[in-house]
Amino acid sequence: MLMTGDQYIESLRKLGTRVYMFGEKIDNWVDHPMIRPSINCVKVTYDLAQDPQHADLMTAKSNLTGETVNRFGHLHQSTDDLRKKVKMQRLCGQKTASCFQRCVGMDAFNAEFSTTFEIDKKYGTHYHENFKKYLEFVQNNDLTVDGAMTDPKGDRGLAPHAQKDPDLFLRIKEKREDGIIVRGAKCHQTGSINSHEHLIMPTQAMGEDDKAYAVSFACPSDVEGLYMVYGRQSCDTRKMEPNADVDLGNKNFGGQEALVVFDDVFIPNDRIFMCEEYEFAGMLVERFAGYHRQSYGGCKVGVGDVIIGAAALAADYNGANKASHIKDKLIEMTHLNETLYCCGIACSAEGYPTESGNYQIDLLLANVCKQNVTRFPYEIVRLAEDIAGGLMVTMPSSIDFNSDLKVGKNGETLSEVCNKFYAAAETCTTIERMRILRFLENICLGSSAVGYRTESMHGAGSPQAQRIMISRQSNINAKKELAKEIAGIK
Amino acid sequence: MICGVRFCGGCNPRYDRGKAFEKIKEQNKDVDFKIAEEGETYDHLLVIGGCTNCCASHCQFSTREGITRMWDEKHIDEVLKKIDEIKSKEKTKQNIK
Repeated sequence: MLMTGDQYIESLRKLGTRVYMFGEKIDNWVDHPMIRPSINCVKVTYDLAQDPQHADLMTAKSNLTGETVNRFGHLHQSTDDLRKKVKMQRLCGQKTASCFQRCVGMDAFNAEFSTTFEIDKKYGTHYHENFKKYLEFVQNNDLTVDGAMTDPKGDRGLAPHAQKDPDLFLRIKEKREDGIIVRGAKCHQTGSINSHEHLIMPTQAMGEDDKAYAVSFACPSDVEGLYMVYGRQSCDTRKMEPNADVDLGNKNFGGQEALVVFDDVFIPNDRIFMCEEYEFAGMLVERFAGYHRQSYGGCKVGVGDVIIGAAALAADYNGANKASHIKDKLIEMTHLNETLYCCGIACSAEGYPTESGNYQIDLLLANVCKQNVTRFPYEIVRLAEDIAGGLMVTMPSSIDFNSDLKVGKNGETLSEVCNKFYAAAETCTTIERMRILRFLENICLGSSAVGYRTESMHGAGSPQAQRIMISRQSNINAKKELAKEIAGIK
Repeated sequence: MICGVRFCGGCNPRYDRGKAFEKIKEQNKDVDFKIAEEGETYDHLLVIGGCTNCCASHCQFSTREGITRMWDEKHIDEVLKKIDEIKSKEKTKQNIK
């Protein structure tokens, strides 16, 4: 059954998730001003699914139950499903101008489905059945799940088993008849606090010595022994200011990352999807990363749409919209943004069925997609800053714009002074100009820059990870043969 | 006449699909427009796409008088014409009865 956005918020209140921030336990994290904008983003994924004008992208028919489910909980059944996933992400980016966090779960579901099938085929295990039952539970309850991969990793030059502290990669601490005890942590987990469940995957390919680290499982976010430490963002405490509005840039939406700690957590057998089958760790990582690199060809494009719109409005408000170099910069931003989208759509259109039946993206094109995402958003915000002008970082606060404090020789208030000197084209009010410039400040270098810039760089793997995959898939020898043929070399 | 309606998901529509639908409804107050649901049979199905791709899924819906797809504001007139055709066909049927 599909939940409404309000039902999603209420469902979070029923969880006993342990959250820490600024040295304190946050009991009412659902309504915390620094956390709530990120919850609102996930809420959008529920609200849009209820809207007939968006349902075709936001929902799909489950191959497991035959019921209509939120696409964020769906197993891709065709290349059409893969394309619609990217389109859905673009839509959600447009509506939030933020990371809406729910795609990590969707990407993990699809990677787990095919990988568990292949583990079972080799070892006769029951992970695939475990996972199918788990996903039915997720779909039937329309849950948000954090697909968690990234371990702290300690000394990057050492394998998991060789670390001085064995907890720096999440591991199986103890095997019992009825399950396992796991210990460790997952870093920079997007949307972890806003998720009902966690779906854990290993962070990298593993050797036999690392088999205790080759583990995948699911657990509720409020399971005993699990807690989260909220990650700070640039300018985040603006959200704590009384009557915070204009200065936030994006009042209602934002992203979220946290450190998720597993302090000896018990996982029952029916929620385990990999347990020491180390040679499949790389397969799970590669498939998840492939889907997630495809994802960025949708979500960041949607955010880019909003940035381009904001830059165009800033030009209108500044009275600079007719300048040819401004028009050209908007064209360049659009070109970059649509190039990202092209790769997202291309790797989807070239997808293929896995042995288990769900569809996988084209790995080369998905890695090219994400490699572009590590670069183009930086150029897009550079151009946005160029168009906006320096005012986006030098304006007084909205309190000053509204202050009755008399400061002028003739009794002018601070508000009157600010509104006089920051007025621009007659097509906008000073406050409207301020709102759009603050939006750009927020996305270019404020709290939302976490999602649009650094997440574009490192999310779904840092640039070098994609270059390795591009190198593996690039088929250089065939290209050499082509060149020899044309050049007449035998 | 019952006309099912299916929108595309609206990832990057080139016009306001909602407004276009309102215009169509306004000129056909005698038609019962319903958001299409599986298991129902409609006299006609109107698929409203936001761009030339018009990717809305619609094979899952059943109709008596077929489907009209639109992906541009300019198609409104064609849609209105098609609805008029079906309406007059229905009237003729009723007169025969």
